[in-house]
Amino acid sequence: MTRGDKILYIVCGLLFAAMALLPLFGASGFLLRTITLALMYAVMALAWNFIGGYTGYSAFGNVAFFGIGATVTGVMMTKMRWDFAPAVLLGGVICSLLSFLIGPALLRLRGHYFAVATLGIANAAREIVAGWDDVTGGGIGLNLPLNTDKDFYTFIYYIFLALTILSAVITYFISRNKLGFGWLAIRENEEGAKALGIDATLYKTLAWVLACFIVGITGGIYAYYNTAISPEAIFNPLYSTTPILITLLGGTGTVVGPILGAMILLPLSTWLLFNFPGIQPALLGIIIILTIIFLPRGLYEYLSGRRKLTLAALLKNPRDNQA
Amino acid sequence: MSTKPLVLQTQGLTKTFGGLMALSNVNMTLHEGEILGVIGPNGAGKTTFINVVTALYPPSSGKIEFLGRDVSVSHPHRMGRIGLARTFQVVRPFRNLSVLENVAVGAMFGAGGAKRSASEAFGRAEQVLTRVGMKDKISADASRLTIPDLKRLELARALAMDPKVLLLDEVMAGLHTAEIDRAVELLKQIHADGISLLVVEHVMKAIKALSHRIMVLDFGKKIADDAPDVVLNDPNVIAAYLGQRYMQRQHEKAG
Amino acid sequence: MNSIQFAQTLVNGIILGGVLSLVALGFSIVWGIMHVVNLAHGAFIVLGSYITYTLYTSLGIDPFLGLPLTMITLFVVGYATERWIIHWVIRAPLMAKFFITFGIGMLLENLILQVWKADVRSVTTPYSGASLAIGGVNIPLVKLAALALSILMVIVFHLFLTRTRQGNAIRSTGMDLDAARLTGVKVAPIYALTFGLSTMLAGAAGSLVSMTTSFTPDAGARYTVYAFLVSVLGGLGNVPAVLAGGMIIALIQVFVGFYAPALKDAVSFVLLVVLLLLRPQGLFGKPFTSGKAE
Repeated sequence: MTRGDKILYIVCGLLFAAMALLPLFGASGFLLRTITLALMYAVMALAWNFIGGYTGYSAFGNVAFFGIGATVTGVMMTKMRWDFAPAVLLGGVICSLLSFLIGPALLRLRGHYFAVATLGIANAAREIVAGWDDVTGGGIGLNLPLNTDKDFYTFIYYIFLALTILSAVITYFISRNKLGFGWLAIRENEEGAKALGIDATLYKTLAWVLACFIVGITGGIYAYYNTAISPEAIFNPLYSTTPILITLLGGTGTVVGPILGAMILLPLSTWLLFNFPGIQPALLGIIIILTIIFLPRGLYEYLSGRRKLTLAALLKNPRDNQA
Repeated sequence: MSTKPLVLQTQGLTKTFGGLMALSNVNMTLHEGEILGVIGPNGAGKTTFINVVTALYPPSSGKIEFLGRDVSVSHPHRMGRIGLARTFQVVRPFRNLSVLENVAVGAMFGAGGAKRSASEAFGRAEQVLTRVGMKDKISADASRLTIPDLKRLELARALAMDPKVLLLDEVMAGLHTAEIDRAVELLKQIHADGISLLVVEHVMKAIKALSHRIMVLDFGKKIADDAPDVVLNDPNVIAAYLGQRYMQRQHEKAG
Repeated sequence: MNSIQFAQTLVNGIILGGVLSLVALGFSIVWGIMHVVNLAHGAFIVLGSYITYTLYTSLGIDPFLGLPLTMITLFVVGYATERWIIHWVIRAPLMAKFFITFGIGMLLENLILQVWKADVRSVTTPYSGASLAIGGVNIPLVKLAALALSILMVIVFHLFLTRTRQGNAIRSTGMDLDAARLTGVKVAPIYALTFGLSTMLAGAAGSLVSMTTSFTPDAGARYTVYAFLVSVLGGLGNVPAVLAGGMIIALIQVFVGFYAPALKDAVSFVLLVVLLLLRPQGLFGKPFTSGKAE
C-alpha cells in the first residue's frame, strides 16, 4: 500500500464519519435524500466492481437483480405481510440463487457477448415481472406499506451508509487475499490464470453471485424507500449504467474508486439538474465522453499519487487508444 | 534407460480438430529428475501436446497419467494444483499487475499454494524472482517488460507454483546467444532442485545442452524417442526436421 | 387464429422484419467491423425521424424525397462523430467504448429534445391512409414501400460491402486489423466511413419508421434494443444474416404478440440469452472474428 493509498483510505474514513454525523446536526431532507441516493449508487458500484472491475467481466445488466430484489421485497411485504428485513434478505437470497444457477453458463461468454447476455437477462427479467400480473402487479407494480415514522428517511440513510461501509470493507479484505488476486489474474489473462491453478469458473461465479446478492439487497431497500415500484421504475437501465460509470470515473478494481466516484458523480449530476435543468443530460453526456477519453483508468491513479495529474498526462491518454 | 519412477506418461494420446489429426497415438514418458527435449517442425503438434497434457483441451482418445494418477479428464487449474506447471509459447502475463504480483499469483494457487497465505506468497515470489535474476524489476508493471523479460516472468510464475514437473513451450525463442546461455544455466539449476522438465524448443544448442532424452514429433506422430546423439543422427529425424531446415538454409544461400 | 388472421399477422411480421433489419444493419456492421457496440444507434435513428419530419412540415419535402437528404445528413453526423469522438477510444477496453457511445446517445437525445421538444410527432401525408386489400388482408401502402426500400437498402449495402473496393477494405479491417494495415488499408478513415455508413442506414430507418409510427425524442433506446436482438440472433457484420435475424425477431413479435402481447418481448430476450449461451456467433453468422469478441 502506497502513501497515497493510505491518504485515500483516511479520506474515505473521514467522509464516512462525517456522513454518520450528518443527521445529528439536523441536515435538511433534501441533502439527506441526495446523499442517500449517492450511497445507494456507491453500494451498487462496489458490487459491480467485483465482477466488472476486479474480474473483468463487463456485466451490463445488474438492474435485473435490482428489479428482482425490489419485486421480491414488494411481494413479500404486501402479499405475505412480511417485515422489511426478512423480505429484503429473501430478495438478496433469491438473487444469489438465480445468479448462481445461470452463472457458470453465462460466464463462459466473454467480452461483448457477456455484456449483451446480461443486458438480455435484464430485459427478460423486466418483461417477465411486468407480465406476471397476479403476483407482481404487472405493469403498474406494487405499493409497499407506507412508513410514516418521522425518522424513516434517516433510517434508510443509515442503512445505505452501513451497506456502503460494509461493501468497502469486504472489497478491502478480498483485494488483499487470494480471492482478489485470483479475480485480477482472470481479468488480465484467463488462460494464464487457469494454468497457475486458479479455478476460473468458481472464482468468476463467486464474483458474480456476490455482486448480484448486494444489488438484490439494494433493490429491496429501494423498494421500501420509494414505496411505489413499477417494472418501468425498478428495471430502469440507469441502475445498470450509473454504477458502472461511477466505477469507471473513480477507478475500476480499486477499493476507494467506486466510493469517490459516487460522491463526485451523483452530487455533480444533481447540481447540474438544478442549475441547467433542460440540458443536464447533454452536459452529463459530455462529462461521460470527456471522462472516458481523458481518464481511461479513472481518478484513482491520480488521487493515489501513482500518476501526476498534469495537462500533458491527460492529453497523452487518448493517444494510446486511437486507431 | 532410467530406473527412476515415472512422473508423467501418455499412452496413445490422440487429438483431432475437426478432421485434422493434431496428435496421433503419442506415447510419452517422463521420469523423475529427467529433462526431456521435444522437437519437431512447425505444426508438428508440440504445443498441442502440452495443451492436451495440461488439460487445456480434452484428448480425443488416449490416457494421461501424472504421479500415478489418471488425469485424462481434468481441468487446467487442477493440473496446476497437483504439481504440473507450464509456460505458454505466446506469453500470457497479467499486464496491469506488477512483476511481483504476477509471480505471487503463481505462488498462491500452484501446488504449494494451499499452505501459503497471500502475504506469504509474496515472500515466495520475491525468492523466485531473485533466483531468475529479475529482482530489480519487481515493482514494474508487466506491460513494460521486454520479450526476454516476459519469457523469464512466465518461467518465474511457473516456478513459484512449486511444481513437480515443468513444461516449457519455447521459452528461448527470440533470445540472443548470451541470453540463451543464461537460460540454459537457469534451467539446469531448476532441474538440480528436483523438478522434471519437458522442454519444447527450436533452439538446437539449448536442446543439446539440456536434454537427457529427445522425443521428435512430426505431423502429430512420434517418430523418434532416444538419447540425443541417437535421435539427432536418425535419418528420419533429419529428413523431417533438420533436413527441412537444412534445405531451407541451402535454398536461402542459393537464392 | 383463422387463416385470414394468420395471413395478416404474417404480412405484418414481414413488414416489421424488413424495417427491423434496416434498424439493425448499421449497428451490426459497426459491432462486427469496429468492435464498438453503439448504444447511440437508436438516437441516430430518432434523429433521422426528426429530420424527415422537419423537411416535410417546414419545407414541404415529401418524406420519400426527404429520405436521401436525411441519409446524407446522418452520414455527415456519423462520420464526424467517429472522427472527433469515437476515434479516441477505438483501442480502449470494452466498457470505455460502451460508455463513449452511451454518452453520445445521452447528448444526442437531449439535443433532439431541445430542438424538437417532447411532443409526440408523426409524418402524415395525404396518402398515409392508403392501403391494399388482398383477400381480407390489409397492407398499408406506406408500410409496403418502407419494406421494399428497407430490403433494397440491405441488398445494396451488401453489394457495396462485397463488390466494391471500399467495401472490401471495410470488411478486411473487421477481419484482421493488422493484416488490413499491412495490405495498405488506412484504418482511421475506414472506421469513420464505416460509422458514417452505419448512421446513414440508421437515418434511412428513422426516415421510414417516421412515416409508419409516431415518435418522441426518447424512442431511441427501444431501437437500440431491437438492433441488439437482431444482430445477436443473425450474426455480426453479415448482411444476409441481419435480414434473416430481423425477420425472425419480427415474426416472434407478431405471432407471440397475437396470443400473449405482454410476453412478446420476454420471449425475444429469453431467446437472445439462450442463443448466446448455445451459439454466440448467431444463427447464420460464421464466427466473424476468430474467437475475438473485443
